[in-house]
Amino acid sequence: MSSPIPVNIDTDNPAVITSGLRKYYRRNRALEKLDLTVPEGAVYLLVGPNGSGKTTTMKILLDLVRPGEGSAKVFGFSPIADGPLVRAQIGYVPEGRIPGYEWMRIDHLLAHHAVYYPAWDEAYARSLITVLEIDLKKKFQKLSKGESRRVQLVMALAHRPPLLLLDEPMDGLDPVVRDRVIELLAAHLAETPTTVLASTHHIQELEKLADHLGVIRAGTLLAQSDTTTLHTRLKRYRIEAAADWTAPESLTDAIVRRNGSGPELALDIWGEEATVTSALAGSGSTVRQVSALALEETAVSLLAGQEKP
Amino acid sequence: MPIVFTIDPADARPIYVQIMDEVRRGLAVGTLAPDEPLPSVRQLAAELRINPNTVQQAWRELEREGLIYVRRGQGTFVARTARPDRERTIISRQVAERALRDAFRHGLSRAELITELEQIEPAETDITDQTEKTDTKGAD
Repeated sequence: MSSPIPVNIDTDNPAVITSGLRKYYRRNRALEKLDLTVPEGAVYLLVGPNGSGKTTTMKILLDLVRPGEGSAKVFGFSPIADGPLVRAQIGYVPEGRIPGYEWMRIDHLLAHHAVYYPAWDEAYARSLITVLEIDLKKKFQKLSKGESRRVQLVMALAHRPPLLLLDEPMDGLDPVVRDRVIELLAAHLAETPTTVLASTHHIQELEKLADHLGVIRAGTLLAQSDTTTLHTRLKRYRIEAAADWTAPESLTDAIVRRNGSGPELALDIWGEEATVTSALAGSGSTVRQVSALALEETAVSLLAGQEKP
Repeated sequence: MPIVFTIDPADARPIYVQIMDEVRRGLAVGTLAPDEPLPSVRQLAAELRINPNTVQQAWRELEREGLIYVRRGQGTFVARTARPDRERTIISRQVAERALRDAFRHGLSRAELITELEQIEPAETDITDQTEKTDTKGAD
């Protein structure tokens, strides 16, 4: 038996699909056979340790970086063959600062940016500027990390693109602004049909917006699924078992993570709750509690589980 | 908004079910009355910082159950056919199941839980006080 954790998403309408993406920067691996599927209309959280390939993936979708092997499609178009067409569909919040415009005042920077997007909604841009308390007279180079992130959010949202690529959108924002950003993203999704691919280390803040999760490590997806499936299939079982207890054979591949050394154990197990519970009970343990995992715990469990030999 | 929706992503219930249960709670407690307007998808999604599709799913399911109705262009409202007593029964069953699960987690039997429930003095804490008040209101 092999691992039951899903790594593929079935959809007739992928907004983003990559197959076998591989990318090395000299000898450093960024991506190793990445097969990512973001269904149209999804809010997909891409989660993984630093250097696992999240930023490289987004850059390949924008054709800011070219893969060594494999291919990517955005709304059916190749970023390499149809770069301008693809980029026009995307609102991008990059991880770092935008280079090249350090000397510009924010109002000029936004006006300059708007020219490139026929769909730019000036009234919406102004309301975002107000909500995010952006000082238009400041120069871009004078902005703190959080301030430049807020400007980048306006640039990404105000032309209401069909696809948003958000690379650590909460980075550098204070707690009040983070909350406000999540609120305005929720409102944005209600008003504008949008697909979102977001990388984040702050899963907890975005989990209520997310409906898909991808867990990435060393350039490969360990898991990829809609969050409803994850929420119903991966659960934590707290059991009491004798010292010589071993997990039933039917569950060996389904146990994602194990905590405790007995007699109490906490096991994160993939499967249907009734089946898992009866398998555990049949193996002579007492199941005390079955609990659902928050998305952050799910991601941590899947990442930590892969560390076992 | 007539009621304050409270949700918890770590809860075993999916978020759309939690929203549905919040509407039931409003009906049972009496803070939601027939023909009362419910928040729009955009409003509730922004308020709870959740995906608008989740609100849509909750509204869809509640409409299917006949608890709410949608009037095109005007919004979503509590149905006149909604029966608070029925929702009350559903909620008390859920609360009882949660209590039983919690008791079992702590190694307690159903009998031990019931004994303890009966021994709690109504005035012992503020929370039970409020529960008692609501109970009286519900009995009217």
